[in-house]
This record gives sequence, structure tokens and C-alpha cells, in this order.
Amino acid sequence: MDNLQYAELFLTESRENVSAVNAALLELERDADGAGASAAVDTIFRAVHTIKGMGATMGYAIVAELAHELETVLDRIRRSDLAIDADIMDVLFHAADVLESAVEAAVAGRDGEVVAEELVAHLRMLGAPDAPTSGEWTAPSPSGGGTLVRIRLAPNTPLRGVRAFIIVQSLSNIGEVVGVEPPLEDLQADGFDDDFAIRLLTTSLVAEIERVVRNAGDVIEVQVGEDVFEDPAMRRTSQFIIPGAVVAPEPVAAVAPPERRSSGPVRMPTTGRSVRIDVRRLDALMNLIGELVIARGRLTQLAGELGDMSLEETVSQSSQLITELRNEITASRMVPVSQVFDRFPRVVRDAAKGVGKEVEFVVEGKDIELDRSMLDELGDSIVHLLRNAIDHGIEKPDARAAAGKPAKGRLVLSAARDRSAVVMKVTDDGRGIDRHRVLERAKHDGIVDANKTDLNEDELLRLLARPGFSTAERVTGLSGRGVGVDAVYTRVRALGGAMNIRSVPGQGTTMVIRLPLTLAIVRALLARVGDETYAIPLAHVNETIELSPDVLRTVKGREVLLARDEVLPLLRLRALVGLPEYTAANEIDLEHVVVIDLGDRRAGLVIDELTGQEEIVVKQYDAARGGLPFFAGATLLGDGTPSLIVDVSSLL
Amino acid sequence: MSQTVLICDDAIFMRTMVGDILTQAGFEIVGEAETGVQAVEKYKQLHPDLVTMDIVMPDMGGIDAVREICKLDPKARILMCSAMGQQALVVEAIQAGAKDFVVKPFQPSRVLEAVQRVLG
Repeated sequence: MDNLQYAELFLTESRENVSAVNAALLELERDADGAGASAAVDTIFRAVHTIKGMGATMGYAIVAELAHELETVLDRIRRSDLAIDADIMDVLFHAADVLESAVEAAVAGRDGEVVAEELVAHLRMLGAPDAPTSGEWTAPSPSGGGTLVRIRLAPNTPLRGVRAFIIVQSLSNIGEVVGVEPPLEDLQADGFDDDFAIRLLTTSLVAEIERVVRNAGDVIEVQVGEDVFEDPAMRRTSQFIIPGAVVAPEPVAAVAPPERRSSGPVRMPTTGRSVRIDVRRLDALMNLIGELVIARGRLTQLAGELGDMSLEETVSQSSQLITELRNEITASRMVPVSQVFDRFPRVVRDAAKGVGKEVEFVVEGKDIELDRSMLDELGDSIVHLLRNAIDHGIEKPDARAAAGKPAKGRLVLSAARDRSAVVMKVTDDGRGIDRHRVLERAKHDGIVDANKTDLNEDELLRLLARPGFSTAERVTGLSGRGVGVDAVYTRVRALGGAMNIRSVPGQGTTMVIRLPLTLAIVRALLARVGDETYAIPLAHVNETIELSPDVLRTVKGREVLLARDEVLPLLRLRALVGLPEYTAANEIDLEHVVVIDLGDRRAGLVIDELTGQEEIVVKQYDAARGGLPFFAGATLLGDGTPSLIVDVSSLL
Repeated sequence: MSQTVLICDDAIFMRTMVGDILTQAGFEIVGEAETGVQAVEKYKQLHPDLVTMDIVMPDMGGIDAVREICKLDPKARILMCSAMGQQALVVEAIQAGAKDFVVKPFQPSRVLEAVQRVLG
């Protein structure tokens, strides 16, 4: 049977038939619904059938098997049992290629070399009437962070539980498996349908994760990345994935991120070669470098006092090195916000569904980087804001239609860099905040003056941020318990950030969160008031000027500052901390003003004197109850004296 | 040069069958073992590219043999040969360091696929 003469004949004829298949496939693709389509399918069917018969006679098992399964699928197409679409065409083209290489390999005596198991399983699935369509994932998404990896095993996989176990194990070689659904014990014992899901913390690329999963064997479908939810109306009757191809669900989504993540980086956009480091180790490094920065401050000061040139030079050199070291460590703590943002499409979709609203969710600026610990802290707050927007902001489809808006609400979460800060915005195009109701409620609670008729945006935020303040008539699963805005506000403040609201009735609401890039070390201006030194983060300092009489004005009984052509409110730090008024020792000894700014708002802060600039290490402190609310933390200065850090956002 | 294989199984029939499948695919069978102890000894001697390992063998079973071999050579590439219903044992073997498995009765294509995965 292995006769060379026959083999030669088989090869020649099979090649002819494969090229006939390819030609007919191209024709079919050009015109799937046309008159020529059924003739093309017939041609392919006949050619494949011929190859199958010859292959079986020659004892080429893989050729015969592949041709047989392909024939079954073609038969279904011929009987109009299976509709042709782009995906089917891809599978057919792929099958023709594999069939061709199987033929060549078989004749060359390497019958086993072409691995067609996955393709065969796939064709088998398509060929079976009422084959379960893939694309339907049944396993719940495991909780926790990390990349979601969904895996479907081929039907008839032997010892499925063990295979699943091997897959989990091979993934743990490229990352940390933090969650498995169904749980690993069930998985091992075969307790799953045909798919399961894994949460993986990894720096590997999507393509790499897919490769690892596929190489573990018996896998017919992999999805890396969060679920994309389909609009049922748009769902296609059959959806499947070509084995070996890059797998990504079609973004036919009601709630879809704007960019598909079918390939490219999963976590770090710039991952070249990387190692994973326990975040606690990074925290420890950050603390050490913080101490080092404090020590450097002392050293610099002492060296300056001694006046030894070579010592000062050495100190300044090491100081430079410490700065670079600090920058490197800070950079190593930065992660793209997508690490947290990627789970939001699901959150939004569920929340919107729960209240019967339609929401298009858009995420912008996923690659913006933020300190890891800050990002972790922030996740829940953003969820609060998103839920608020869905529950209170965006209207139900009929109400939107009545207001002349598209039925589907739009919710945008964006992140962007602004100097040394990151600005995050949650914007909806809903009804906007009902200021009247907030005002009524505030009056009812006796928080504002009964004669007040209007609220500006600051007042609005301050009211909404009051613990327990809510105007919602009912408490839903989403929000309305009054723990939304105040929780977010408190959290953002604790992170050294600021928040504000812009809301236009009928047009929507934007919540803006402004955060420093990193928590731990900031450059600050040191300001002396009396015997005390306060630190003002430089990120919020616009300029400093002397408080001469010609820049000082009084408007409506309040002191204001004339800075360039602007009139700014004036705050006196002495008054704020309860010190007596400044008395100049002589006439030239003027007070100073630090112009602080926060995005679009500015003010002048009057201090006695500027004493320097320093990198300070922010230490959170537990402010005494009833203490002054405008400090964001404490620090130790170079000379070892403690200093309070001014919270600029609370002053503006 | 073809890649070398050590076949470990207490049944001559299975050794022959696995041997045939692999020989036809171009592998060189450099040794056979009937017991776990033999498997470990021959591994030390031969350092094959691939080991096929039966789970149930007299005189040290396949799983213990995997453990011993991986102790000698953490990079050892071992393919478990299992019968239906040995799920838990196969998991144990994988945990011990085996790379993949095939289930009897053997289909040549399945065996070769698994071998490719183990060597890949």
C-alpha cells in the first residue's frame, strides 16, 4: 500500500483537488448569495470527497479524517443547514491549507507531523447539527484583579479535568493565578461544562497568554481580556473561532471599551523584558528612599553649615544620585490605569441592566500611569461615581427620548495627565444634578440658610460630599444611601487629590478627580508663619509675590490680590492657624503671597516668609478631631523639625 | 539527529506500541524500563530527550519515578501514559513534574501531539 508509485499519483491528484478547492472558495467568498455559490460548494465538496477516498486508501489517517470532517461541514452548507459568513469562510480556507500540508506530509512519510486535532474538533462541532455554538461562555468570571482568561476545551477531550489542571499550571508559569472558576478542585474532578475562567496577574502579552494556553493542548477557544457584552439583537447565529488564529470576540457591544484588546500589552504597555515584584517590596523601597530623602536634607544642611567645599561637592553628588534613585523607584510603581479600568465595562453593564437603562460606556486614556497603591485605593471610588451616574444621572430610554436625546446614554471615564497630576473624569449625558432639590434638602436639614436661592458648583459639591446626604427618594442596590459622593470625596482628599463637579441641568454631570502622580514624595515650598514652617506642595503653586500695598485691594470689604490682571481672593495663613497678625520689624520686611492653584481656581495665600524648597516625604497623620481641616499630612524637614503639609484643595 | 526516548511500561505490548508510534515519527528509542526503579536508573544512564511513563508499575510506581527523575533533572521531559479513570493520579504526576499525558488506548496522532507539546 505504501507503494511509491501510488503515493506519487495521490500527491499529484490531491494537489489538483486542493487547488480546485481554493479556487472555488474564492468564488464562494466573492459571491456567497449569488447563483454561482451552490455550484462552488458542490465543486469543493467533490474535491474534498476525492481526497478523502484516496487518503483513506493510502492509509493516511489525518488526511482522511480532516477531509471527512470538512465534507460533513460542506454537506450542511449544501443543504442550507449552515449559513456562510466571514467566519465560516475563514475556517474553510484554513482547513484547505491544513489539508494541503497534511497531504504533503503524508506523502513524505511524516503523516503524524501535521497536527490537525483542533481543526478536526472544530469542524466536527460545525458539522454536527445543533452544535453548541462557541462564543457563549458559561463559567462565571472569577473575582479579583488580573487578566481574565477564558478557555474552552475541545469536545471529547480525554481526562478533561487533568487538561484543565495542566492549563492552569502552565499559566502559573507566566504569572500568578489569582482565581479560577469553577474552583480548581471542581475543575480537576471534571466539574465544569466545557469552559472555565482564570484570573491571571501577569506582564505577558495577550498573544503570549494565548500561546501558552493553546500549547497546553485540547483547547479550541481562548479569550484573553474582559468579557465584551453583546447586544442580543445583533448576536449572530453562529460564532466561532479559527483554531490558531488570534481570538477576540466581536465588539458588537452595548457596553464596549473603544479599543479592542485583541493583541498588544495586557498590563504594562512598555513591557519588554520584565520581572514581577511583590508590591510590598516596592512599598518597602519607597519607604527607604523616603527616609533617605529626609537624611539627605539633613546632610545637605549640615554640609552647608560646615562650609567645606569638597564635602559639599560630595553631598551634592550623592544628592543627585538619590534623586535619580527616587525617580526610578517612583517610575517602577507606576501602572497604567487600565489595570483597574478594565473591570469597569462589566460593572457598568450590570448596573445599567439592573435599572433598565441603556448605556454606552467609553474609556479614554487607559495608558495613563498612576502610582500603584493610589490606583488600588481609587478603584472603588470610581465605581461609586459610575454607579451614581447610571442610577441618578442617565435617564431611562423613554425619558431620554422625551427629552430629545438618544435612547442610549453615554458615560465616559477618562484619565489624562496634567503637569504632575492625573485628572480623571466621569461624564454622563444625563439629567444633571437637580440643584433645587439639593438645596431644598439642605434647607430641610438646616445645613444652609433658608433664604438661599441658588447653589454654585463648590457649594453643590460640599453638600453632596456631606456624610449621609442624599436626595434619592429610594435606596437602590446602586446608590442613594448617601455614601457615594462623600466616600469618594474623603478618599480623594486622603490621597492628596481634589474633586469638583460640573453639572448642567438636562445635559449631564461631570465629576473631576485630580490626583498627584505619586503619594509618597512631593516637592514643596516651605513657608514660615511665626515660628512654624508649613509645606505647600509645588504642584499647586503658581507663583510667589511680595505683598506690597499696590497689589492689595479691598473689594466689598474683603481683601483681594491683584496679580497681573487678575483679582484673586486672599487668604492669610496666620489667620487660618490662629496666630496674631503680622507685624513687620521694619518697612522693607514685607509679607509674601503664594499663589496657589487647582486647575482653574486660584487664590493668594499670605505667609511671613519663604524659607526654601525641599522634597518632602508625605506621612499620613491622624488629625485630631475638630482640628484644622486644611492639612493633608505631615513631614519631617531637613533639619529634623516636623511640618504640616497644606492641603491646597481645601483652601480653594 | 533524532531525538531519544526512554519508554517505561511494565507491559511489553504497550512498550512495543508506543515504540512503534514514536519510531515511525522519527524518534530513536534508546531504552526501555519495566519498573520505576529501572526508569530512574536508565534515565541517569541515558539522559533521553523524552520519557514516556506508565503510572502503575511494580517496584516504584510511575509517579514516584517522575519525582525521582525530576530531582535528578528538573528539566526532564516526561509524558504520562494513563488509563481511563486515573484522573487523580495523572494530576499527581503533573504536580510531580510530568509535562503532559496520553490516555490508553493510544491514538498515534494524540500521542504525537502530546509529544510535541512536551518537547515544544
